Parts: sequence; structure tokens; C-alpha cells
Amino acid sequence: MAYHTTLFLFVFLPLALICYHFAPQKWRGYVLIGFSYLFFWMNSKELLAYLIGTTLLTHHIGIWLDGLTIKEANAEAEEKKQIKKQRKRVLLLGIVILLGVLISMKYQNFIGLNASRVAEHFSIRYSFDPVAIVLPLGISFYTLQAIGYMVDVYWKKIEADYSLEKTALFLSFFPQIMEGPICRYSDTADTLYKKSPLKLENLQHGSLRIVWGLFKKIVIADRLAVVVKTVFDSYADYHGIIIVVAALAYTIQLYMEFSGAIDMVIGTGVMFGVKLPENFRQPFFAENASGFWRRWHITLGVWFKEYIFYPVSVSKIVKKWNRYGRKNVGKYWTKIVTSAVALFPVWLCNGIWHGPRWSYIFYGMYYFTLIMIGILLEPIRKKVLQTLHINPKQLWYRALQFVKLMVIVITGELFFRADSLRIGVRMFRSIFQDFQPSILFDGNLLNLGIDNLDFMVILVGCMIVLLVDLMKEKKVALTEKLEHWRLPIRWSVYYGLILAVIIFGAYGEGYQVIDLIYAGF
Amino acid sequence: MDKLLEILNEIDDSIDYEAEQALIDDQILDSFGVITLVSEIEEAYDIELEAACIVPENFNSTQAMWAMIQKKIEEK
Repeated sequence: MAYHTTLFLFVFLPLALICYHFAPQKWRGYVLIGFSYLFFWMNSKELLAYLIGTTLLTHHIGIWLDGLTIKEANAEAEEKKQIKKQRKRVLLLGIVILLGVLISMKYQNFIGLNASRVAEHFSIRYSFDPVAIVLPLGISFYTLQAIGYMVDVYWKKIEADYSLEKTALFLSFFPQIMEGPICRYSDTADTLYKKSPLKLENLQHGSLRIVWGLFKKIVIADRLAVVVKTVFDSYADYHGIIIVVAALAYTIQLYMEFSGAIDMVIGTGVMFGVKLPENFRQPFFAENASGFWRRWHITLGVWFKEYIFYPVSVSKIVKKWNRYGRKNVGKYWTKIVTSAVALFPVWLCNGIWHGPRWSYIFYGMYYFTLIMIGILLEPIRKKVLQTLHINPKQLWYRALQFVKLMVIVITGELFFRADSLRIGVRMFRSIFQDFQPSILFDGNLLNLGIDNLDFMVILVGCMIVLLVDLMKEKKVALTEKLEHWRLPIRWSVYYGLILAVIIFGAYGEGYQVIDLIYAGF
Repeated sequence: MDKLLEILNEIDDSIDYEAEQALIDDQILDSFGVITLVSEIEEAYDIELEAACIVPENFNSTQAMWAMIQKKIEEK
């Protein structure tokens, strides 16, 4: 059961809202936990034990760390040192267990099979039989949240929560367990535990956001999924511009699908009075690859920045290098090496986080390389702009940046979607074989599984999303603005959106039910 | 404080540091700017800044940075 299914939208969610509304305030947290565990059970059955285990561990480690912090504050200097070491060991214990479970479930086969290939290469007798493993729902999301919580308590950014109910709700809240956003305790705890009564205003705002997400997912993404599947499943039959079309279609599908799912997630949260963090901020309006990732899957980027990038950047060895580098090789090269050392684990983890595949690792390394090239060339870029008196805000310059970003992103998504790295390379190479743009206009596109009407719906849908994104980029508060419009216009927008989803949604005959992509990560 | 402003201007002199109150929240200073700033501050004031110190509240304004530096000097 995913967020876009009728079972969720017309049975599960209304039932959860009704039970939440009629429960006494002190029981509302338990109602949410109950529905969250039910949601988890309906998707992962007895694997719920993993979520409960993670909750108990995270809760206990938090309290343990907090106890040691109090002890540390009252200790003498020598004892303080010992307690500091103990705190570090406790944190490591928590992280190792959580990562151990994640790695053993998600990456066991990948590690085993690659180890067996290496062994074979060196003529060592070792063979690995892949194990059939079903992953618990959202393990990649709630594990990161749990680690973030423990590290924040360790860093004394937050105090440990002594209420098991709160920890359980923080890790299991059903609107976000499947696809994120990856929440920081300090960001969501307040609204999550408020248990505020349902408000008509929240229900309206939340429903509107859900319908908007459905529009992006069912009307646009699920239609594009047909084109993407046709080409990627039979990649050997296609080449030239059709591969570019498929990669572009996948890029748009992924954006519409993932950002649409997040709209549904945030909208559901709003209905319960819970404010979840945004995960997208018009990523295609970014100036470069680095900026793109500050706007795409924001909460994953923030997690990597806070718990990998900064700790590596201020680690003892990097600090030593900084001091040595500034004296001996100058600021520029010091920055290059520091950035490379801090960014490499970030992008490696970003790739691996998506799944146990070499193509995902390649995807992470692809962005690492591009961002490093950007840092290396930054002084030259600035010099050129200065010498030629170019204002980077000029339209033609922004247009060039947009084209460059699209080439980067679409190429990245081609490798990301391909079934393996080998297939990705083959598809990329085949772009340059018999590249004929005229194919776009001779009716060949209609052999990709969708018809003229579908293409029109996708085009109009994308234009609407682009318009909304443009307004958001200009910081126009759309929902608030909509509220001030006259009633007939306002309701026309609401009904128009609902009708668009019902009439133009890609479901029924000729379409397949498309699972949420990020739920698979 | 002058030394801090000098460091900040060396990183990017197009920012009005004395007026800005949301250097991190408004993404005026990016993560590369922050790590450069951290190592410059450490060297200039002979203090150690850990990863736990790198939170927007400590880097959103020069006043906040200055307060963090003062606190770290006191803790030495």
C-alpha cells in the first residue's frame, strides 16, 4: 500500500484521521503510532520487528548518552576524559548495530558476489550463493534518521527523549516512512508531538497538496513510465536520439514521481498538523550540479552534509592538511584537496545509499567528479566573467547554464535507470550511433507505447508544473494566494485539479500500476 | 571582530557581513565557505571547532560567529 493507492487515500488515511480526531489528546500519539505500525505491517508484515528493534535501540542509546553527558558535567578533569571516550563508544555501538543491520540486509548479496568475483580472479576458492532477502519498508530512510538522532544527542545539539512513545513516532510516522523526507529530530519533534486537533484549514491545505502530488505522479510520471520502460527494457533495439528522449523522459518521470510523492507525504502530514521538511526546491533552476543537489532530495543532501561532509572536513587529519597546505601549497590547492577528501565519502555513500549496484556507485562518482571539476575551474570561470564583463545573471548566460545542467542531469539519470553499469555504458555509446533528430517528427515517437493524446497531456502537465515552479522560485506563496481568490475561482482550481487526475490519470486499460520509485531504495 | 570580518571578506567580499543575519539559512555562505571559514577561524584564534559547532545558529551572522569564538576561547 503506497500513498497514491485508493486503499491509502480512501480507506487508510480517512480512518487514521477519524481515529486521531476522536481520540483523547493524550492518546493521539499512540493512535499515530498504531496506524504507522499498521501501515508498516501491511507493507512488510513481520519485518516490523526491525523497526521496533531500531526504535528500542535508538531510544536506549539516546538515554545512555544523555546519562553520560550529565555525569561528564559533574566529573573531575581526568574522569571527564574517560566519560568522553565512553560516550564515543556508546555512539559507535549504536551506529555499528544500525549500519550492520542495513548492510547485512541491503548489501549482503552485492558484497558476497563481488567478493566471490575477486576471489575467482585471484584463484581463491570462495563461492557465494545469493540469499533472497526482503527489505523492511523504508529501512534506508529510518536508519539515517535514527543515526542522525543519536549523533545529535552525542554532539549535545539536542537532549535525548525519555519518552519511548516520542522516539517510536519520530521513527515510524507513516506519511514519511516510505519515501522520506529524512527528518531531523530538531526539525520535526515539536510539530509531531503537539497532537494538535484536526483543523479544517489544515485538512484543506493538506488535501490540495496531496491532489497536486497525485497530478504529478499519475498524470505525468506514470505516462512517461511507459516510454521509459519501452526503451530501457529493450535498449538494444534503440539508438541515437531515442535514447536521449528516454533519458529525458526518465529524468522528468523521476522528478514528477518523487516530488509528487513528497507532496503527498507533506500534505498528509499537514492534515495531522505536522510540518515535514521540504525535499525539493525547483532543482532544474539551479546554476550547476552542486546547486542541483542542494535543491533535489534536500534532506538526504543535508544528512550527508551534517554527518559526513562536516565531520570529515574538521577531522584531525584534514585540519593537519589545512595547516600544512596553506603554508606549503597555497590556499587553492589546500581547498581542492580538502574538498576532494570530504566530498568523496559523501558521493560514494550517496551512490551506495540508492542500492547495491555498480551503476549507483558510478552515479555517485559521476557527480563527485563533476563537482570537483567545478571547484577546480571556479577561479578560471570568475576570471573569464570578469575579463569579458559578463553578468552571470544575464538571460543568455542562465540559458547556457540550464542547457549544461540538463545535459549533466539527463546523462546521470541514464546510468541511474539502466539495469546495470554495462548497459548504461552501452546505451550512452549508442546515443552517438545514427543520431537523427528528424526521428522526433516522423511519427517514431508514437511507437514508444503512448499516443498523441498522451504526449499532449504530458506536455500540458509539464507546463503547469513549470509555471508553479517558476512562481515558487519567485517566492510567490501560492497556497496563501489561492485562499484570497474569489470562491468560484478557488473551487474551480480545486475541482480542475481533481478532475484532471480522474480524467487524465494514467490508470486503467493500457497502463500499469507504477510503484513509487524511491520506496524501492 | 575586525579579524573575523577580514577572514570573511577574504572568502567572499561581495557580502555585507555586518548586516546579514541568515548567512547559512539563506545559503549566502555555502558548505565550502563554511569549512574554509572554520579552518581560518581556528588558525586565527587558536581554537578548535568540532563538527558539532557547525550549525546554522553559529554561522548565520558575524555576531553569532563572534559569540561562538568567545565561548571557545573561554573554554580553552
